[in-house]
Amino acid sequence: MTTRGEFLARIRGEMAKTRGLFPASPAERPARPRERLEVLRRELVERWPQSLARFRAEFERVAGVFHRVPTAADVPAVLERICRERGARSVVTWAPPTLGIDVEPGLAATGIAVHTMPIRVPPGEERRRLRDIIARADVGVTGAELAIAETGTLVLRSAPGRPRSTSLLPACHVALFDRDVLVETLEQAGIALEAWHDGAGPDGEGGAINFITGPSRTADIELTLTRGVHGPKEVHAVFVEAGLPAAAHE
Amino acid sequence: MSEPLITTPLRDRAQRALGDRFLHEALDIATTKFIGLRREAFGDFPQGERLRDRARAIKEATLQHLDEHLERLIDNVERRGGHVHFAATADEARDIVLDIARRTGARMAVKSKSMATEEIHLNDALAAAGVTPVETDLGEYIIQLAHERPSHIIAPAIHKTKGQVAELFARELKREVAADPEVLTRIARAELREKFLQADLGITGANFAVAETGTIVLVTNEGNGRMVTSLPRVHVAVMGVEKVVPSMTDLMVFLSVLAKSATGQKLSVYTTLVQGPRRADELEGPEEFHLVLLDNGRIAQIGGSLREALSCLRCGACLNVCPVYRQIGGHAYGYTYPGPIGILLTAMLNGPRSVVELSHASSLCGACADACPVRIDIPRMLIELRKEVDTEKLAPWSERVIFKAFAWLLRRPALYRLGAPLGRLLQRPFVRGGRIRSLPLFFGRWTRTRDLPRVASQTFQERWAALEREAR
Repeated sequence: MTTRGEFLARIRGEMAKTRGLFPASPAERPARPRERLEVLRRELVERWPQSLARFRAEFERVAGVFHRVPTAADVPAVLERICRERGARSVVTWAPPTLGIDVEPGLAATGIAVHTMPIRVPPGEERRRLRDIIARADVGVTGAELAIAETGTLVLRSAPGRPRSTSLLPACHVALFDRDVLVETLEQAGIALEAWHDGAGPDGEGGAINFITGPSRTADIELTLTRGVHGPKEVHAVFVEAGLPAAAHE
Repeated sequence: MSEPLITTPLRDRAQRALGDRFLHEALDIATTKFIGLRREAFGDFPQGERLRDRARAIKEATLQHLDEHLERLIDNVERRGGHVHFAATADEARDIVLDIARRTGARMAVKSKSMATEEIHLNDALAAAGVTPVETDLGEYIIQLAHERPSHIIAPAIHKTKGQVAELFARELKREVAADPEVLTRIARAELREKFLQADLGITGANFAVAETGTIVLVTNEGNGRMVTSLPRVHVAVMGVEKVVPSMTDLMVFLSVLAKSATGQKLSVYTTLVQGPRRADELEGPEEFHLVLLDNGRIAQIGGSLREALSCLRCGACLNVCPVYRQIGGHAYGYTYPGPIGILLTAMLNGPRSVVELSHASSLCGACADACPVRIDIPRMLIELRKEVDTEKLAPWSERVIFKAFAWLLRRPALYRLGAPLGRLLQRPFVRGGRIRSLPLFFGRWTRTRDLPRVASQTFQERWAALEREAR
């Protein structure tokens, strides 16, 4: 077996042989990403209506369904409608502190079963049970850490209470977001990614970060576009005008 | 182990592909569609050209300090609790993955689409070791059921009809299946969902790896990449060393051009950033994460003539625009990586000897270099490969003699000028409709597959001389 030392030594040996290299540099990273992100957020505050309009247009272009509600209290009604229209009977949601709201009381009278993910995950069998609940749920409700206008993309970071498969296994994914998470471009999303990784320990960074741009799709059979091959067939984005509690994106 | 020996010559493989009418139609529709989508995507994106230059510069800058970036990547993956393995050859890479599978006690491995694992022929090795590999990308799943190889980097089953797919599924599931993509996709979803939830081992490639953060990046449209990296107990990613990028900022530049080049999407549906094994308080994620860094001929090219090919993002754009690929499809190339870039990658993986024929399977029109998101000069490297393999005396002796004679003639202008009237005389019996369509003797081998233009009734040199006389 090749060792790390041997492997890197071979690379260095070959690097020494290269001739006539032209000067090239990687992309310039923000020197203090957290501060840069704060500055960016302040700049974006002014332009959020334009960002939202762009996000909506791009999100709909990739077959996303856009909703807009005045306050977090209006979210359960949207969820109920989505469930009713699709005959969905079970909903799984991120833990309320990470989502910004608890949708369970609002849906209690509707007969829709709501499974709320706990923040602290017990070991072993209980983990398996929770995963099976997500796998069987009809609708998965999550927050979003970023909404990228340029591409109509939602960015979700996994963490305790925010299982990654909530946005993957159910046939319908509903993401809640507000103006604070809107960015205009992929480049700006890059600043956020730099900031998240700036100095945080491995536990602060999330096991997986997913950029989601519309429902799961394939064109592998005769180039016929088909949705929902492995992931959700539908993705909904619910914009909450009055904002979600800040805990949702920290 | 190098790739399985190809026994039929390229000429026969191409001939067979050309005779396949369905293949032809499918290729034409698919590549034309991809070309249009790509053009639209960049048309809407004025900064695209600048970002392509930027992407290329980042690849080059990364190569110039590859050792440092890899060290940072290794350190950061390990800091997150992942394991890093080093594979100099395809053999070694397979052994590493098999060893992990054995220690995991895995009986089934779910895989998301990965050219690197195709390249090392991992599936055969897994099967031989008693681990059932299950390809989960719909196209790859179809290919696996058919016991074939992918024919396009991003659309592996481009050559199959829905009828053929329905037959495959019916045979596999032992029931009637409608030849409707919607129905077929639904069936595949149900079949594969079970496997995702059962499998102990998930195997992926990697589109990128971010050195600064120890992050592996997978780009998919179906979501299978997310399944494979979230559900099984162990995740193994097999990645060529050249896929490392320095930072998240760099990653964004590549994401801006990758999907646009591949499928004309602004971004693929899922870009998944995987950061090591499951965190203590998280519900999901693998217990173990392994990264296999693969050399397999790449490292030797850092200072070699194929260095530029190390910038390839595997988007497939050069396949779609290649007049040769569009005629013969991916299988006729005979190796893992088809198309113009595939010829270079084949030479990289298996040595220049393996592309003695393939290096000529290009018209050198340059469409590939234009389409490449990182502007790899594929034609330049193909010419260099041809020179390198020319010592193999590939062409028939008659062709070599004629070209030698022609080269000799081109270096003697006086003789060359005499050649024109002589050629006009000699061609007379063979010109039909302004072209030379067939020649006698061994010259016929040339005209059997292509026409020759006739020698003009007045050559450029003759016209130029006449113009100069008039001007005087």
